[in-house]
Amino acid sequence: MKDKLQEINTQAAMNASRALSKLIDEPVSLEITKAGVKDVKELSPIIDSEEIVAGIYLPITGEVKGAALLIFSKETAFTLSDLLVRREPGTTRELTELDKSALKEVGNIISGNYFTVLSNNLQVKIIEHIPSFSFDMFGAVISQIIAKFAQETEKALIIEIQFTFKPIKLKGYFLLLFRLEEIKAILGGGHMELLK
Amino acid sequence: MADIEVNIGEIAITKNADTLVASGVGSCLVITLYDPKNRIGGLAHAMLPTSVNRHSYTKNCELHSTSSVDVAIDEMLKRIETCGAKGEDLEAKLIGGANMFSAFASDIGMENVLSAKDKLKKEGIKIIGESVGGSQGRSVEFSVASGIVTIKMKF
Repeated sequence: MKDKLQEINTQAAMNASRALSKLIDEPVSLEITKAGVKDVKELSPIIDSEEIVAGIYLPITGEVKGAALLIFSKETAFTLSDLLVRREPGTTRELTELDKSALKEVGNIISGNYFTVLSNNLQVKIIEHIPSFSFDMFGAVISQIIAKFAQETEKALIIEIQFTFKPIKLKGYFLLLFRLEEIKAILGGGHMELLK
Repeated sequence: MADIEVNIGEIAITKNADTLVASGVGSCLVITLYDPKNRIGGLAHAMLPTSVNRHSYTKNCELHSTSSVDVAIDEMLKRIETCGAKGEDLEAKLIGGANMFSAFASDIGMENVLSAKDKLKKEGIKIIGESVGGSQGRSVEFSVASGIVTIKMKF
């Protein structure tokens, strides 16, 4: 499962990089710097809870139920907005509706690529839903996602990916949560030791 | 005097000149209780409206039971009275319960607020202040020496 996950991550990063390059007209390489499988109770915030971030929430249903949450630091969100809307770098000081919509599109591309690769590899049907945007304190943004999961399911499979956009050196954080019930059925008992 | 950080699912009670802090509160709810005569304060940082919602947790009890509003209030009342606070003097404040994402069909934040109001009414504790709902996160500082609750929002 770990190797499989690594393979999925690498393939998804390559595909997403290609799509993002087209979108911003610059060479982009998404480098995955951290990936792991965790239990929901071990999800310790890697970002300060008061740090302002741009959060893009993408729920998924189908044979696997869960959500993706893409987090950009304020600076990353501003720089990305400049690139996406073709402004002079350093122009953005606050996010307009157009910027938010462009950032949601980045969320769509990254998660879309991830879920496509995942769905192909595991042979499961995954339906993505419309992204939702929040620009606020990290703790406030992430806790609602965790609360929603805690209400629905006992445990969740959590994949954390920290990534860097090269060459502009922008950092992002991609969190995937899957309800364990369906994941268990798909992976079978043999891989469950990784989830302990 | 110290700042005591209260994370999700935690409760803190103090009768010193400490400040109880909960940062980055979104749909979660912070409930403060204060006995102004004895200057004893408590703060709970809860995530879910009721413990009934956690039916699937009863087997292993993975989450702190105090993650839910109703259990957190019960537990906080028990502990604050042990510290010498008088039930009839207690004043409550509610902070949080926002909805950070418009895509959420269920409003966990508002459910948390309603659950707290219901529970506090049952316990006969009056709510003397609230800053709840909306779509913004809040950070909370409760100065137990003065009883003042300060809320920070980023915009």
